[in-house]
Amino acid sequence: MAYLLHILIITAIYVILAVSLDLLAGHAGLLSVAQAAFYGLGAYTSALLTVKMGATFLVGIITGMLLATVLSLLVSLPSLRLSDDYFVIASFAFQMIVFSILNNWGALTGGPTGIPGIPAPGVFGGHVLTHAGFLMLAATCAVLSYLVVWRLGTGPYGRVLHAMREDEVLAKALGKGTVRFKVTIFAASTALSALAGSLYAHYVTYIDPTSFTVMESILVISMVIIGGAGSLWGPPLGAAVLVSLPELLRSAGLPSAAAANLRQIIYGGMLVFMMMFRPRGLVGCYSFGR
Amino acid sequence: MGEGYVGQLMQILLNAATVASFTVLVAVGFSLILDMTRSFHFAHAATYTCAAYVTFAGTSWLGMPLTLAAPIGVAFCVSLGCLIERLIYRPMRRRGASSLTLLIASLGTYLVVQNVISLIWGDDTRLLRSAAMDEGIEILRGQLTRTSSLAIALGAALPVAVGVLLRSTSLGCAMRAVAADTELARIRGVPTECVILEAFAIASALAGVGGILFALDVNMRPTMGMSALMTAIVAVIIGGVGSIAGVMLGSFLLALAQQIVTWTLGAQWQDPVVFATLLAFLLLRPQGIFGKPLRKRSI
Repeated sequence: MAYLLHILIITAIYVILAVSLDLLAGHAGLLSVAQAAFYGLGAYTSALLTVKMGATFLVGIITGMLLATVLSLLVSLPSLRLSDDYFVIASFAFQMIVFSILNNWGALTGGPTGIPGIPAPGVFGGHVLTHAGFLMLAATCAVLSYLVVWRLGTGPYGRVLHAMREDEVLAKALGKGTVRFKVTIFAASTALSALAGSLYAHYVTYIDPTSFTVMESILVISMVIIGGAGSLWGPPLGAAVLVSLPELLRSAGLPSAAAANLRQIIYGGMLVFMMMFRPRGLVGCYSFGR
Repeated sequence: MGEGYVGQLMQILLNAATVASFTVLVAVGFSLILDMTRSFHFAHAATYTCAAYVTFAGTSWLGMPLTLAAPIGVAFCVSLGCLIERLIYRPMRRRGASSLTLLIASLGTYLVVQNVISLIWGDDTRLLRSAAMDEGIEILRGQLTRTSSLAIALGAALPVAVGVLLRSTSLGCAMRAVAADTELARIRGVPTECVILEAFAIASALAGVGGILFALDVNMRPTMGMSALMTAIVAVIIGGVGSIAGVMLGSFLLALAQQIVTWTLGAQWQDPVVFATLLAFLLLRPQGIFGKPLRKRSI
């Protein structure tokens, strides 16, 4: 039972990451490889505030989200000048810089050894949540994130995003300045990633930089692409499929080292297959092309 | 005192030249492919790694001499590069795939090949070096191993050879035509798909040579290709896509910057400096030092 709860909690965290990336990649057509950087930013901010300064869990989450919103300018401003694959490279550079800082600025982040002893979230007078309680919390956050993305993606705001994705020049010509939309969409998306990071940090109670590498970004991209970009159900579906896949491999009795490689071979193969034959993903509506 | 400084300076320059030759061998092919097909060939990193591991299999499993195993490694990675182009990129381009879908597909291809290598050889660091290749020679008070001098020689000669090929052979002319305007080249009777395939063969051969030299000089890990490719992408963007001289200059400047950072701040700050440089170039001068202005978004 604890095992099942664990899988569900991890799925909820990845659902938040996947819908936050879908806001950028699916709705606005801005494929960012820096989502793990903001995920890590949320995790580290929350962990440092609670461990070193004794702040509460809620303060940690909110500060992490605010910090991500501010730092998202470092990625959203390049997106104004760079298109498509050049933007992918720029976000890659940002991701590498953040990882390097987490890994090397030992005095602040603990370097490769990470931060141990992050308190599990306590609410209402310091009760430490149980697994089931944490699942309620994570699921609530996932549903809220989903609602945020649904609201932003389908309303008038979302229609401008879609117009920008399909034809930026046309959107501009119709008087929809892309600066405001790009800056706000990045702020919203990275804040949601930071939320996922804080939840992760307080759930596993120990973090190190290896959880926030570019491979993590690529995993989240795979979830969005395989599930289907720009749709409401695609990214959560992709998250559920890709979280449960390694568990299935494990239950099939593969040695863990080989299972890790096999898992990535399957992700990679699925990405190639989807791009070749169904760029829209399983249930998506955007196919990364003009 | 003065002589000590000369020695140190020379050593920094020689180290930078060695590192630059690993980068440039990956960067030239990557830049050529980016220029011709307008897509980021991330799987290039996998061909680089593959050449080193196949060579390793030849020398340590089958007991071949390096002079036999290395060409087999290069041949293997040329066929891998061509297969990826033939089986994945070409059908996608035919269907009018966007550059973003091609990029994602090439990332997926990279993941598959890298993890197949990990499955076969394991994730541990392995060595390909031999005592004979590690012997040192001295140039102007700087020390250089045989591997490094071979790397510098090939890192200078092969890109120049590609430059000559592009400038003065009919194949090179066709390649430049494809890079300038694929549609127009096709209309004028250039067999574009065939020319692109040949570009992949050349690019993969250069990357293979780079991978084997790197494994000889340093060591090999299944992820070595991606770190080499990232540095190469930075060098390409600094130098300018499609310019061989630019890519060579970009690789050397980048390697020099890395050496200086290592000496002053420490090796762990290489990555932030490299990628901050990349961001600065992307924002301020995206066409690089020698490059043509970047393509405009098609309306």
